[in-house]
Amino acid sequence: MGCLLPQSPHCWQWATFARSWFLIDARMQPPGKIASMCSVRLQGKHKPIYHPLSDIGDHVVVMNTRHIAFSGNKWEQKVYSSHTGYPGSFKQLTAAQMHKKDPTAIIKLAVYGMLPKNLTRRTMMQRLHLFPDDVLPEDILKNLTEELPQPREIPRKLSEYTQEERNAFPMLWTPPEDYRMK
Amino acid sequence: MAACRALVSRAVLPLHYHHVCRGVMLTHIREKKRWMKAYTLIMERKRKMEGPPPPKPRSQQPNFDYHAEVEAFSARLQESFSLELLKTAFVNVCYLRSEEERRRALGLDLETTTLNLKDNGELCVHGQQFTKAFLSDWCRGSFPSLPQEGVAAIVGHLTGSEVMCHVARNLAVEDLTMSAEFPVPDEILQGTFFAVIGALEQSSGSVRAGLFIRDFLVTQLIVKDLFDMWKVVDPMGLLVKELTCKGIALPEPRLIRSAGASTVLPLYFVGLYSDRKLLAQGPGETVLAAEEEAARVALRKLYGFTENRRPWDYTAPHEQLQKPSAQALTSE
Repeated sequence: MGCLLPQSPHCWQWATFARSWFLIDARMQPPGKIASMCSVRLQGKHKPIYHPLSDIGDHVVVMNTRHIAFSGNKWEQKVYSSHTGYPGSFKQLTAAQMHKKDPTAIIKLAVYGMLPKNLTRRTMMQRLHLFPDDVLPEDILKNLTEELPQPREIPRKLSEYTQEERNAFPMLWTPPEDYRMK
Repeated sequence: MAACRALVSRAVLPLHYHHVCRGVMLTHIREKKRWMKAYTLIMERKRKMEGPPPPKPRSQQPNFDYHAEVEAFSARLQESFSLELLKTAFVNVCYLRSEEERRRALGLDLETTTLNLKDNGELCVHGQQFTKAFLSDWCRGSFPSLPQEGVAAIVGHLTGSEVMCHVARNLAVEDLTMSAEFPVPDEILQGTFFAVIGALEQSSGSVRAGLFIRDFLVTQLIVKDLFDMWKVVDPMGLLVKELTCKGIALPEPRLIRSAGASTVLPLYFVGLYSDRKLLAQGPGETVLAAEEEAARVALRKLYGFTENRRPWDYTAPHEQLQKPSAQALTSE
């Protein structure tokens, strides 16, 4: 047996303090859960060497932000407000309107709100890369280390079930032949 | 009393208080001395100009009795040295020469005042041979698959002047050596330590001397990495050679992980697979550096020099030393 991990101090240090690049696919995912995963990795809290002053956060690339899925009625009920300070400039946008205007804004604001409220927040936001669709630029694709598993299991649509699975599903009662389903 | 304690606890004493020694403080309180300030300032300026005083050997500092110190040396190490051999071991050739020079300069007649001291040359050679043989045997016993160059590198490191002088200085061998110059140069100190080991072997036997070397020199290997001591230029070639000797398939490097490939600080993890099974993986700044590191990790694993190997058991009795092959079989 033996240790497979590197042992000379220079390599330990390089490998321990290197910055990774994580990829998250936000298709059909709740933006809050995506944002919390992003904020954990941007701060470096997933590493045992974490310290708030150490600047050991990693890069996070989120793709398909256009296809995020709020639960409940949040698309109509969640309101994003902003005020520039000048009179008459109070704007309130619903999540749907905000998403139409900028497909990456919802996740960006969510992550911004979940990061620690200090000067390191802006640096961490610079390390967050958001893309509305799954088209990523080449240099970011080259840098990626790992894809993180999605927080929410996407439920299948009825059209995605095969006829055998639909038949195999237990029925509560068998309707007679001339019964008409609405 | 309280005032004294308050004064002692200050970092710098005020002008009229002087520490004579640890328990005694002199205070010029009856009248303030007008010359004290000027004198103190001049002494400070002189000390700053000249720098710190040169180190003095322990034998020239107060409370030093050579015979008592030599006995204490042997008692401290819990070894029974023969005192004449030990005293001979501490005498160097340069010391004898400088003594004769000094006596000649003083005009003393050489016939009446010959130095009856023998130098430690033979003991030094004897001790060096014994140490190197013992360390080679120990290395080969505890790392059976380590090749000859590796064993030679480890033995060379342990008997090199850095390690030996570090151990000798901390065992107070430097205070007892008689040499021409002070501070004692590294080679002379190393020679004196070898002579001490030779004296130990001749007084108490090779078993006790072996235990001494094990306890003081082999322990310097703790936390040391193999390739710090053994400079290997081409680890991949060496690995290929080792694997062909053992008949295992040759290693194929594969990129396992990469991070930030197009940034200024890339990281690559390269794994070496032989016959589709992972041998070792290593990180690096570039793919080539990572491959080299993976080869080094694989070599460390092959030779049994990993960090998580079973540490050498220093509490075991000396029968272990006589059967190195059996120990190699039982250890990992």
